[in-house]
Amino acid sequence: MTKHTAIVTGGSRGIGRAIVDRLLADGANVTTCGRGSRPEDLPEAVHWVQADVSQTKDAAALIKAANTAFGRVTLLVNNAGVQVEKTVADSDDDDWDLVMNVNCKGVFNMCRVALLDMGEHGGNIINIGSISGMVSDPSMALYNASKAFVHGLTRSIAVDHGPKVRCNAIRPGWIMTDMAEDGFALANDPEAAIKDALARHPVGRFGRPEDIANMVAWLASDQSSYMTGECLTVDGGMTAASPLNPGLF
Amino acid sequence: MADKLAGKTALVTGGRGGIGRAIVARFLREGATVYAADLTEQGSLAEHDADGSRFVAMNVADEAAVQAAMARVMEEEGKLDILVNAAGIEIEKTIEDTTLEEWNRSFAVNCTGTFLTSKYALPLMRTAAKSGNSASIINFGSYDGFIADPGLAAYCATKGAVHALTRAMACDHGPEGIRVNAICPGYIDTPMLQSFFEGDGSGGEGGNIETLQKAVRDVHPMRTYGTPDDIANLVNWLASDEARYASGQLWVLDGGLSAQVQQMKL
Repeated sequence: MTKHTAIVTGGSRGIGRAIVDRLLADGANVTTCGRGSRPEDLPEAVHWVQADVSQTKDAAALIKAANTAFGRVTLLVNNAGVQVEKTVADSDDDDWDLVMNVNCKGVFNMCRVALLDMGEHGGNIINIGSISGMVSDPSMALYNASKAFVHGLTRSIAVDHGPKVRCNAIRPGWIMTDMAEDGFALANDPEAAIKDALARHPVGRFGRPEDIANMVAWLASDQSSYMTGECLTVDGGMTAASPLNPGLF
Repeated sequence: MADKLAGKTALVTGGRGGIGRAIVARFLREGATVYAADLTEQGSLAEHDADGSRFVAMNVADEAAVQAAMARVMEEEGKLDILVNAAGIEIEKTIEDTTLEEWNRSFAVNCTGTFLTSKYALPLMRTAAKSGNSASIINFGSYDGFIADPGLAAYCATKGAVHALTRAMACDHGPEGIRVNAICPGYIDTPMLQSFFEGDGSGGEGGNIETLQKAVRDVHPMRTYGTPDDIANLVNWLASDEARYASGQLWVLDGGLSAQVQQMKL
């Protein structure tokens, strides 16, 4: 298997952290970033760069830091993202700037600087999209749209920069993070809410960050060498079922 | 709005059913000559008022009956501009509970029926297309051909097959001036839907049917399920010359139901 030199954006916690841990376990040299300072529990071997991917100069500096630490970058995982829970009517200019700058321009910035080298020597880009870019989560208008952008950009990069570069996206469903747990705590009847939500997942459980990291590991490997331009859904079967399930009423 | 289909001849299978009946009525208002094909003259509706269409007793899965129906249309009208394959059945079971007979019956009506009527309508439709206006086949898929409802396995599979057949037919017969599209309805208020609500599968379960119906409406972004007339509105457009560039497409019409993700009760 290729020994990757990888960049994972937004690797301080959640899905990004699971991806960092998995790539590290698979033998990759991993650089990750976040807007804050290095998380205390980040493994020693991981190179941390304080960076905001929505800033073009930060994106360039991140690649340079990875090059300095480990050499040529062979794998880029664009995981960093933000969400604003509002409808179009409620969203203001600041919401637009935040969501579009991080989720769209951030992915664009990272791909652009990574392609300077990957376009010549080859490479692998994995973007984290969302099922929300396919079907809408209510009151998440800008987030939903930003993820559809990621899916479209993924296909474009695959088309324009193949055969040297492969580019795919993963569309996670409901992955259990602290954020999702807070949501249940706020429900009228948290126990019933969890039961209902579980029943909507054919696999009978919620997703874990490791489920997404597993897919990243496969897409990063030579096992997927013929796959490019695809958006792969990992959601426990949720979007395979109709949102209308009379059995749950 | 009338007379969009003046001079056109149409055949609607399932033409006495919940959705087919509305399509027949709409086509008549738009000036078409309409054949309503169904198993019985009343179809799935308890009452049926004479509507000016020509009834054809036909099981869509019976090749001889389909050939006879097309021969009659050929003799009386000399062409067929519009074929609507609205006949369909729904077995409300998982694959484990579905018998081979039920599975075969689902495919016979929903897939083989669409195949047979289209196959024998093609010569009449090529004749119609010689007028310079394209002929139009409209199949019935379902949003269930994209995402599954529980306990409807064979139905979901037949509708997925109809979607693929629609694209294949559009490729093959487009050069002959025949457009082929499928409409993929969501929840439409028909005898089939009421049977689903009352059924002992995921519908009834001893629950209050009105509570269930309200819950179902509320899950839709439009807060209602559709009516057969909503479907007839789109069928009418696809059948008309305004849709002359539309072919090979799957037209989801579901009040926004499948545009959204699962609605958790948070």
